[in-house]
Amino acid sequence: MDHISRLIRQSKLSLFIALLIDNLILVGGWWLLNHILKLSAPELIIFLTVLALAETALFATALGSFLMQPIKAIWQVIVHLSPSEHGVAAPQPASLKFGRELVTNLSAQVYQLATIADRAQPATTAAAPAVVNKSFVANNLPLPLFVLDETETILFANEAAAKYIGQPTTELKGKNIYMVLDMAFPSESTLDQWLKKAKEQNATASMSWERVRLSVLDNHPTRLFDLAAYYNKGNPNHYETMLVLFDHTQEYSQDEQAVSFIALSVHELRTPLTLLRGYIEAFEDEMGGKLSPELNDFMQKMSATAQQLTAFVSNILNVARIDDDQLQLELREEDWSETLKSAIDGINLRAKVRGIELECTIAPDLPKVGIDHLSIREVVSNIIDNAIKYSGDSKLIRIDAHMTPDGLVETTVQDFGMGIPESVIPNLFTKFYRDHRNRAQIGGTGLGLYLSKAIVTAHGGNIWVRSKEGGGSTFGFTILPYTRLAEEQKNSDNKDIVRSPHGWIKNHSLYRR
Amino acid sequence: MDQSTTGTKKILCIEDEHFIGELYERALNKAGYQVTLEVDGARGLALAQKDEYDIILLDLMVPTMTGIEVLRALRDPAKTPHLKAKVIIITNLEQREDVRADIEKQADGYIVKAEITPHELVDLLNNIN
Repeated sequence: MDHISRLIRQSKLSLFIALLIDNLILVGGWWLLNHILKLSAPELIIFLTVLALAETALFATALGSFLMQPIKAIWQVIVHLSPSEHGVAAPQPASLKFGRELVTNLSAQVYQLATIADRAQPATTAAAPAVVNKSFVANNLPLPLFVLDETETILFANEAAAKYIGQPTTELKGKNIYMVLDMAFPSESTLDQWLKKAKEQNATASMSWERVRLSVLDNHPTRLFDLAAYYNKGNPNHYETMLVLFDHTQEYSQDEQAVSFIALSVHELRTPLTLLRGYIEAFEDEMGGKLSPELNDFMQKMSATAQQLTAFVSNILNVARIDDDQLQLELREEDWSETLKSAIDGINLRAKVRGIELECTIAPDLPKVGIDHLSIREVVSNIIDNAIKYSGDSKLIRIDAHMTPDGLVETTVQDFGMGIPESVIPNLFTKFYRDHRNRAQIGGTGLGLYLSKAIVTAHGGNIWVRSKEGGGSTFGFTILPYTRLAEEQKNSDNKDIVRSPHGWIKNHSLYRR
Repeated sequence: MDQSTTGTKKILCIEDEHFIGELYERALNKAGYQVTLEVDGARGLALAQKDEYDIILLDLMVPTMTGIEVLRALRDPAKTPHLKAKVIIITNLEQREDVRADIEKQADGYIVKAEITPHELVDLLNNIN
């Protein structure tokens, strides 16, 4: 921090000295011209005016624009990041836009500074303070900074970067950035994808990401940061891409602790649920044949309710994972007809106790699909559960699996219940959203569709709804044939798609691994 | 299961929640398995190391030694020279990434207890390769 403020003070001092020298030259020049060359007054005035204007313009441009501006930007960011040390009020963290702009702006400014400082080196003038050079500024920048060439090899990494990663700068130089920074991005937009696009389309581009997760050395905890990148095609020094990292591990990991809390609560809920389901089953075993139809019905309802609660607990956990970018899927080649039927079997009891029939039509010859078996079961289960809840007096739910014209496997779930007003459809897949009209009558949390959307999207598919108030609703989602998914995965380096086990047994037909 | 060809399969269930152990024991006994229940991690490990079992059901939250420690000891040739049993983790707790990686490498199965009933557990174990 002191380096930067000193730098600014020195820059100001340099400006002052430079202007002083400028004035001395002018006065000396005037004396010289007047007394030695003995120019006439009008000639003298014109000559001196031109000289003064030229020098002023030169200094103003060199110092004002090239040197002061980037330093000012760095200063702004540093003040932004560490308000306490300076007593300057920080911008509101909530005003994300400002933060992002600043972050993107900074990367461009640092880039400009580094390249200009390099060019300025050979032609050192009285105006260029010697301290302003790339290595000084970049090395003392209290933010990790990487400069990459066309092949994404690290040309330069500052001290802060070395410290952040836990490797000396000399080790970092010459390595591929992806070997050094093992980053996981919270959305599909990743650094390599953006860079690839920038290289194809742009001369310059800048971008920033939030909540990037970095796995460093084994004994280091995971780090979380915002990342700013600046791209400049064809830079003469090969400084093509610049990355600046803004660490937010502490802030973001508070959210992770929330996930730990949820995980613990889930455990506490699951244990009694395990027992409840186990004892209900044991009871059915012993008493099944001896109960009156009414009591038998009660038993089934108890069982269905316990199942529903289990599914809900699992939903809570998965939503926490999604919110924390930890939902992991492992996409494998599966038979959709089998998966769908088994998912429907899993929820059939819940439909049955409400007297609802699940009618299922599966097109023959569907291709094998690329899915995470257990997560997709949750999608099917959530959508059907929703249909059951909103069926009203209607007793039929129609499930249909078929190919779409563009070669995707689509599954639709149609109910004939109360339907959804058009105005609320855009909100349906939002977390905690529930139709206000039905809040009182129908239980639920508004997590199911949010979760389903996240899972389907992570599968590369799409989820949609068609509904008319009073005319029932149809929910549908698409998944990719395995061959197509394999092809797409080959072409992209999407690390977001991994796995979320609820259970597995090696080489087992149901719990495959 | 056909006991004439396979003999009675022996299962060691290391699970400190007594009621869950009781439910599993009941269902597995009915299906013809011989079940040994153990609530303590270290004692469970000692039993497992006798190598008399076909399947070990291992809860992760058990006293004296955690399930993960038991698993690691079972897969460490210095501590357990030979183990014929399949080790299936049974848990209701979500795992940290590092633990999850260990389980994937070292266990033969992973079951979330709340997601299955005792009958479903029996079905799964009946079909283990």
